[in-house]
Amino acid sequence: MAKNIQLDLETVQNREMRLGSIISWDGKASELVELSRYEERALRHKGECPGAGKSGEGCRLCELNMPFNQQSMCANSIAACQAGNIRDCVLIQHSPVGCTARNPEFNLAFRNGLERRGIEPRNINIMTTNLLENDMVFGASEKLKRAAREAFERYDPKAIFFSMSCSTAIIGEDLSSIAAEMEDELGIPVAPMQCEGFRSKHWSTGFDISQHAVLRHIVNKNPKKQPDLINIVALWGTDYFTDMLKPLGLRVNYIMDIASFDELAQTSEAACTSTFCHTLGSYFATALEEAYGVPQIRAPQPYGFAGTDAWLRAIAKQVGKEKEAEEYIAAEHERVRPKIEELKEKLKGVNGFVLTGSSYAHGLISVLRDLGVTVDGSVVFHHDPVYDGGYEEQNTLKTLVDNYGDIPHFTVSKCQPFQLPALLSRVKADFIIIRHNGLAPNAARMGIPSFAIGDEHFPVGYDGMIRVGEAVLDVLARKKMNQVLKRHVGLPYSDWWLSQKDPFILAKHPEVLDETTKEVQD
Amino acid sequence: MAKKKHTTITHPHYACAIGAAYTVSAIPGAVPVINCGPGCVDQQYFTMSFCNGFQGSAGAGGGDIPGTNSGESEIVFGGAKKLDGVIKSALKIMKGDLFVVLSGCSPQLVGDDVASVIKPYREQGYPIVHAEVPGFKGNNLWAHEEVIIAIIDQFVGEAKGIRRRKKLINLWMGAPYFNTFWRGDIIEIKRILEAAGFEVNVFFGSESAGVSEWKSIPKAAFNLVLSPWLDLKVAKHLEKKYDQPYLHIPVIPVGEEATTAFLRQVVEFADIDNTKAEKFIEKEAKRYYYFLDHFADFFAEYWFGFPSKFAIVGDAAYNIALSKFLADQLGLIPVGQIISDNTPVKYREDVAALYNELSEGVYGNVEFIEDGYLIEKKLSEFDFGNSTPLILGSSWEQDVAKEKNAVLVEVGTIATEEVVLNRTYIGYTGALQFIEKVYSAAVSG
Repeated sequence: MAKNIQLDLETVQNREMRLGSIISWDGKASELVELSRYEERALRHKGECPGAGKSGEGCRLCELNMPFNQQSMCANSIAACQAGNIRDCVLIQHSPVGCTARNPEFNLAFRNGLERRGIEPRNINIMTTNLLENDMVFGASEKLKRAAREAFERYDPKAIFFSMSCSTAIIGEDLSSIAAEMEDELGIPVAPMQCEGFRSKHWSTGFDISQHAVLRHIVNKNPKKQPDLINIVALWGTDYFTDMLKPLGLRVNYIMDIASFDELAQTSEAACTSTFCHTLGSYFATALEEAYGVPQIRAPQPYGFAGTDAWLRAIAKQVGKEKEAEEYIAAEHERVRPKIEELKEKLKGVNGFVLTGSSYAHGLISVLRDLGVTVDGSVVFHHDPVYDGGYEEQNTLKTLVDNYGDIPHFTVSKCQPFQLPALLSRVKADFIIIRHNGLAPNAARMGIPSFAIGDEHFPVGYDGMIRVGEAVLDVLARKKMNQVLKRHVGLPYSDWWLSQKDPFILAKHPEVLDETTKEVQD
Repeated sequence: MAKKKHTTITHPHYACAIGAAYTVSAIPGAVPVINCGPGCVDQQYFTMSFCNGFQGSAGAGGGDIPGTNSGESEIVFGGAKKLDGVIKSALKIMKGDLFVVLSGCSPQLVGDDVASVIKPYREQGYPIVHAEVPGFKGNNLWAHEEVIIAIIDQFVGEAKGIRRRKKLINLWMGAPYFNTFWRGDIIEIKRILEAAGFEVNVFFGSESAGVSEWKSIPKAAFNLVLSPWLDLKVAKHLEKKYDQPYLHIPVIPVGEEATTAFLRQVVEFADIDNTKAEKFIEKEAKRYYYFLDHFADFFAEYWFGFPSKFAIVGDAAYNIALSKFLADQLGLIPVGQIISDNTPVKYREDVAALYNELSEGVYGNVEFIEDGYLIEKKLSEFDFGNSTPLILGSSWEQDVAKEKNAVLVEVGTIATEEVVLNRTYIGYTGALQFIEKVYSAAVSG
């Protein structure tokens, strides 16, 4: 079988090329399921689709082309929040100082993550080569080498990562050669990441790039199997997975944030790999499966009753613990049902709106709907029509629509707060759920409270439903503050824009810009 | 020689040039438009605002800032077309009286001709200006001045025949958002100057009238630079452009004595009648010492000890202002002062000289260091003697503060243990808040 992940190559193909990912779309979730043609695309992804054509044009998923943009993350920033959050490795950002400016937030995440996993909090150690104008003219390879030596002396790291920025990519810095040279000199793995911000239209390519670097440079190439070890591709979340997997006799190995070098290295030795979010985890899981025969779990994500049941069963099947799983599932259902019924009663008539990363949103909506919360709209920041795994059971959007029905207003848009007024005018929303910055403040000003999920494992599993239900009740109370804001502060958008009903009108009718230009001139 | 120079930075205490988007965002009614990669200004938001006292934004800041999100095709084929689309739509979508395009690393390196994209809009009368602020040319402080000068040259314009107003002052006191407490600081200084009879253009924040204030820059009698070095370039530019004098007061006043001296100096420079000022000073001093009188009890008879030695890490402005207050007014012993804002080399001697006499017989030990690793190393080597050390710094100094069993008070970028709204540590009212903060931290720690 042809491989999806080319670990012999230094660079990763962008998501938009590899998976056909899009960042701008609006319609019903069911339509997007159909247009995504997950299974056909999975075959093409493996090079086995007979009808895909040479360039794959036949599989292209159309998207809306907006002339206006607001900013959010980039792949470089994502690579920093991944490779820069490993406990005993050091990331060197080969860039001017500004490419590190989000690190204080990742530091908060790192410190919180350490605490959640029972480790003493401390600051991240990310260096920047701090490039200046002369470096742009004369090149900065020497600075990077010096930085690597400095990192080695200062922090005694198990491995060093290099990350590329827009400017170093444009001036043609050769990260790979320098990494190879420094690896020889220092005697530890030095992993280059070609994660310059401009290279991919979506930041999630940055996840793949950092995982690729770990797979190539850190993962143990001669694994000794650990049959009770399960990899969970995660971020900084609380260890809720152990409670769920212990009954199946499994130990959890979290990757990549908060992990140590050894924890990353042993991923090739695990019994299987899964994740809380296929958007994040599919690349790593698929690579491990193809290169080291570590199977990935063929299941949707562990959210809501249906998702959690199916996920546990798939893992149990993989490790031969079907009986234990059935007992656990039955006991858990019995345990949480009364509490969930109670929450459903309290949440009756409540409407939610989910704005998060792609497949995570699919999971969150399942949880909300299990709690009886109405969700008629959602924004995902990009959409992968297929994941690297390509397994039918991992088609999270289809699972959502099949299990819980359609979402009438399903929007793909990369954190564009200017669209929020129009998006929220189409549906009822008593609260929103977010993770990424930039959107919730405007919802807040429109009178809508937000549930900012900093601990991404919060909604996972049976208890996740209870946690979310209780948190939503707390969040709804905050509406008082949001109503104060709504009464007294406004949004930074023109009345003309705020009167628009279609968040994508600029893509569909760009001529409206000319019409209003005349008005402004008059 | 240059090869050996240490250049890397861990734990930076400033943003890059694109961070000056927040100089624009701080002007009521102004909209920054970012011309560069997809993550640039979003990253700066965290250093400048969110992870700096969780300041947030009002108007066009945070996620609302328009940008080109330049991708591969803009790098290969040029970004002019995409920028044009973003400007065209930003002018219609965003509420704004002034649009400031900030060009970052990518357009600069690929040689986009941004001026010619903007030209037609300027010709149609749109209030739009452009500043070239690639991150590799300087940090957010360098770009703060670049952006202000761009607005002055391209928006405020010429000033022929404008009449000066004797009591109108242009106040320049550093970079908004970067200074964690800028909103409260401006309120306090404006309050003090107005009480003496001045009108004050503050340009940024809640007390600014927005772009109309900027338009009235040439009408001011003089520019008041209240900062060790930042904004001097602006004042010199205005001196040249409008033949407008400036008064440079390098140390932001903290406490009654310094603030009173400051106000008298400004009144004298402006050559206005001092009756109002003196009356105000009398009232403020009475109030100030009423509180200090109470504080004397704690200060004199608290059994359990509090810090007597302090070190400070931060930008030049707060570093000298707070050092002076602690050393001169509270009698804390300065152990070391680290200036982390990359003060331009040409100003360093003058800035260092400010520490020569922090108080009678009390001398500073100042160094300019940008790399957080070296800063932390330095702090860990400082000898604080037997009492609990007081470290004034940022969240980056958390680990070393813990190692030294120190009380850490966050007074600048990065501050993730503070939620800052309308707070100030300067002037009359700020000094009292600063005392509250320091000693609350000391008694709770």
